[in-house]
Amino acid sequence: MQWVLNLSALGVYFHGIFVSITLGLPLAMMAFLYLYRKTGDEAYMKATKLATVVLSINFALGAINGTLVEFGLLTVWPGSLIVVASTALAPLALELIAFSMEVALLILFVVTLGKVSAGLSMGILGAYWAFALFSGLLITAVNSWQQAPWGTGPLAKALYPFMPEFGPLAVDAQKLVAVKIFALASGESLQTILQGAGVAEVVGIVVNDPYIILKSPYAWVSIAHNLLAAVIVGASIALFAWAYRYYVTGNQYYLKLLSAIIVPLLALALVQPTIVGHEMAVMAVNYNPTKWAMVEGAEKTKYSPIKALLAYGDPNHPIYGFDHFEKMCMEQKATVGEVALSVGLDEKTLRELGSRLGLQLDGSLEAVLKTPVRDVCLADLQKAKERLSKVHYAYYTKIGSAVSAVIATVALAAMLVRIPVVSPIVSFAESLASRFVNRRALVLLLAAIIAIGFAATSALGWYVREVGRKPWTIYGLVYPEEIVSVVDYATSPAFIAFAAFIILAINMSGIAALIFVASRADEISEAVRRAIEAIKGSKA
Amino acid sequence: MGISLIVHVGLVSVTLGVGLITAIYRYLAYARNDSYLEVFARRAFRLLAVTELFSGVWGTIITVVLAGFFTGLFALLANVLFTPIVIALIGIMIRIPSIAIFWYTWGRIDPRTHSILGFVMALSGFMIPLGFRALMSDITAPVAIGSFLNKQPFGAFDAYFSSIYWNLYLHTVLAVISVGGFMVVSIMALDGDAKGVKIAAPYAFLPLVAQFLVGPLYLLQLHFSSPYVFDALVRIDKLLQGSGGLFSPAFAVKVLSALLLLWIGLNIYLGARRGAISPYAKYGGLLAIFVAVVGEIVNSGSRYPYMIVLDSAGKRIEEYFNYYIAIGDVFPAVIVILFFLIMSLVIFTIAAYYALIRKFVV
Repeated sequence: MQWVLNLSALGVYFHGIFVSITLGLPLAMMAFLYLYRKTGDEAYMKATKLATVVLSINFALGAINGTLVEFGLLTVWPGSLIVVASTALAPLALELIAFSMEVALLILFVVTLGKVSAGLSMGILGAYWAFALFSGLLITAVNSWQQAPWGTGPLAKALYPFMPEFGPLAVDAQKLVAVKIFALASGESLQTILQGAGVAEVVGIVVNDPYIILKSPYAWVSIAHNLLAAVIVGASIALFAWAYRYYVTGNQYYLKLLSAIIVPLLALALVQPTIVGHEMAVMAVNYNPTKWAMVEGAEKTKYSPIKALLAYGDPNHPIYGFDHFEKMCMEQKATVGEVALSVGLDEKTLRELGSRLGLQLDGSLEAVLKTPVRDVCLADLQKAKERLSKVHYAYYTKIGSAVSAVIATVALAAMLVRIPVVSPIVSFAESLASRFVNRRALVLLLAAIIAIGFAATSALGWYVREVGRKPWTIYGLVYPEEIVSVVDYATSPAFIAFAAFIILAINMSGIAALIFVASRADEISEAVRRAIEAIKGSKA
Repeated sequence: MGISLIVHVGLVSVTLGVGLITAIYRYLAYARNDSYLEVFARRAFRLLAVTELFSGVWGTIITVVLAGFFTGLFALLANVLFTPIVIALIGIMIRIPSIAIFWYTWGRIDPRTHSILGFVMALSGFMIPLGFRALMSDITAPVAIGSFLNKQPFGAFDAYFSSIYWNLYLHTVLAVISVGGFMVVSIMALDGDAKGVKIAAPYAFLPLVAQFLVGPLYLLQLHFSSPYVFDALVRIDKLLQGSGGLFSPAFAVKVLSALLLLWIGLNIYLGARRGAISPYAKYGGLLAIFVAVVGEIVNSGSRYPYMIVLDSAGKRIEEYFNYYIAIGDVFPAVIVILFFLIMSLVIFTIAAYYALIRKFVV
C-alpha cells in the first residue's frame, strides 16, 4: 500500500512542478509584455518569446502528468469514484471549462504572439492565466475536501471524538455509514461494490448539495495558499533561469528581466507567509487536530505561548497532543453497531441492503457491528502517531526554507530596484560580500536560494498536507486501503517499479528538453527563420 | 459524452495520421538530404502542433464524463480492462511531450536523432488506440468483461483475444492514416503546392481503399460476435418495423460518404500523379473527418440502449449511470460547461485559422 501511495506522490510531485511553472511563468511574461508595451524595448518581446517556448513544453508535460494523476486516481484508486460521482462531480465538471479554455487560449497566444499588438497578447495570456488559476482552484477544492470533508457534519466525530464537525450535514449519513460498514465487513475495496451493475440505483442519492465542496472555508484558504505558492515557485524558477544566464553572460539585458520579475514576486512572497500561510495553519488547527499535533510534535499535550497565541489567539491554550486524543477515545463506550443504529441502520437493514448490492457479508458484518468504537479510534490514532516525527521535521524544515527564500527575495529585490531603507542596507552588505563574491555570482546565489527555498517549501508543504491527514485518505472517514484497485498486479512491486520508471524516464527527458530549448532560444528562432525562408524559396 | 467523443475522434484522426506522415518525411528528408521534404514535413506538422493538445482536452472530457456520470462502468473498466488503460496511458505520456520536443528541437539537434524522435512521437500515438480500442471492443463483444460478468477469472490481456479487436484496431489505424493524408492534401492544396499534394495523396487514398476490405470483414465479425450491433447497423427492415436497426440510416450515411470520399480520393490521386491539384483536394480533409466522425457515431451508438452488449441484448446504460447525486441539481452547471466548451472550440478554430490559413506558424 505504501508503495502505491509513493507512486501516486511521484506523479503528483511532477505535476506540481509543471503546474507551478504554468502558473508562475505567465506572471513574468505579463510583466515583460507590459514593459514592452510601455517602453517598446525589444528585449522584453524576445524574453516573452523564449518564455512562450518554455511554457508550451512545460504545459505539455503538465498536461500528461495531469492525465496520469487523473487516470491514476480513477484506476489505481477507483474507490474514489464514489467521490467523483457525488461531492466532487460539480467541481470536476467545471474544471473542464478551465482546461479546455486554458488550452485553446494557450494555442491562440502561441500562434498570435508577435503578430498582434502586445496589449492583445497580454489580454490573451491574462485570460489563459485566469483559466489556469480557475483549474487550480477547483482541483485544490477537491483535494481540500479530502483534508476536511465539508458537509459530512458530525460523521467523523461519531468515531473520533477529538475531531470537529465538518460543516452542515449535506450527505445522506445513513448511506455513507452503510457503505463504510460494508467496506469494513467485506474487507474489500469499494471498487468491488461500485462496479456492480445497478449498484448506484440501489444506493441512490448520497449528496444533497452538489456544490458543498466549494462552500468549505478550509477549501478557500487552501486555494489561496496553494495557488499563491504555485505562482511563487513558478516565478522563482523563471527568475533563477534568467539569473543563471546573467551569471554566464554578464549581459545587463538579463538584469532588466530580473527586475521585472522580482517586484511582483516580492509582493507575493510577503503576503504568503504573513496572511495566507497563517490562515492555513489556523484551518489545520481547527479541522485537522491530528495533523496539528504531528506538526507540533505533540505526542503529549504541551504549552507554547507564542504558538498558542498565533494558533488560538490565546497564549495559555494547550497544544493538544495524542495523549489527549487517546483519552477522548477511551471515553467512547459505543460499538460500531450502536453508531450505525443512531443513523437508523440496524443489522437487518444492513443485511438486506448488502444482499441487494450482491455482497457476501456472512459473519463479518456481525463482527464489525460489535467492534467497540474505542478500538477503531485508538488503532487509527496509533497509525497517525507513527508519522508524527516525519511530519514534524518536514514542517519545520519547510518553515526554514520559506524564511531563507523570503530573506533572499527581499535582498535581491533591494539590489535590483530601489527600496527605501532596505536597499542601502543591502548595498552595504553587498560591498562587504564583494571581497568574496562578485555581483553576478551574488545574484545567482540569491536567485538559487529563492528558487530552491520556495520549491522546497512547496514540496514539503504538500508532504505535510498529505501525510498529515493519514491514516485516512478522506480525513476521519476513509482509508487508502478502502479505495485501492482490486487488480492484483496494479499494486504489485513489479508494476509499481515499471510505472515509476516510465514516469521518471518521460519526465526527466521532458525536463532535459525544457532546459535544452530554454538555453538555445536564439538558435531556435534562427531555425524557424530558416524554415520560413525555405518555404518561401520552395514556393518561388 | 457523445459531443466530446465526436470532437475527440475528429481531432485525433487528424493528429495520429499527420504524425506518421511527418515522421516518415522528416526521416526521408534526412536520408535523401532533400530540403523540400523537410519543408513538407514541417508544414504538415503545423496541423499536429496546433491540434494535439486541444484534442487531448476532449479525451479528458470523455474521462470525466465517464467517471462522473457512468461511475459503475468506469469502476468495472478500471478493474477488468486495467491493462489496456495502462497501455493507452503510456502512449499518452510519451506522445504529448514528444510532440512539443519534436517541434522545438527541429533544426537544433542532429537530424538523425530528430528523425528517431519523430518516430517515437508517431508510434506512441498508435499506442493510444491500441489501449482504448480494447475498451470499445470489449463492451461490444465482451471477452474479459464477459468472464467477469459470468463470475469467471479473467486475464490481464484477455481483451486482446477478442474476435473483433484486431480488426477494429486495423480499421482505426487505416482510418487515421487516411484522414491525416487527406488533411495534408488539403493543406498543400490550399498552399497551391502540387508536389506536396502528390506526396500526401497515396496516404489519403490507399488506406481508404484498404478500408473497403477491412470494413466489410469487421461487419461480418460483428454478425457473429455481436449480433445486436450488427442488427442495429444493417437491419433497416427492423427499423421500419420499429424493432431495431436504429443506426442503419447513420450506417448508410457512413457508407455513402465513404464512397464519395473514395471517388474524391481517386480523383486527387490520379490528378496528383499527373502533377495537377484536383479541385476537390481542398475539401477532402473535411470530408474525411466527417466520415471518421460518422463512423464513430455508428460504432459507439449502435450499442444503444446497452452500455455492454451481450449477444442480442446487454447491460443497459441505466445500470451504470450515476444515481449518487440528483443530476438535475448539476444541470445548470452542465449548461455553463457546454457554453464554455463551445467557446473554447471557437477560440481553437480562430487559432487554427491563423496558424494554418494565415500561416502565423510555419
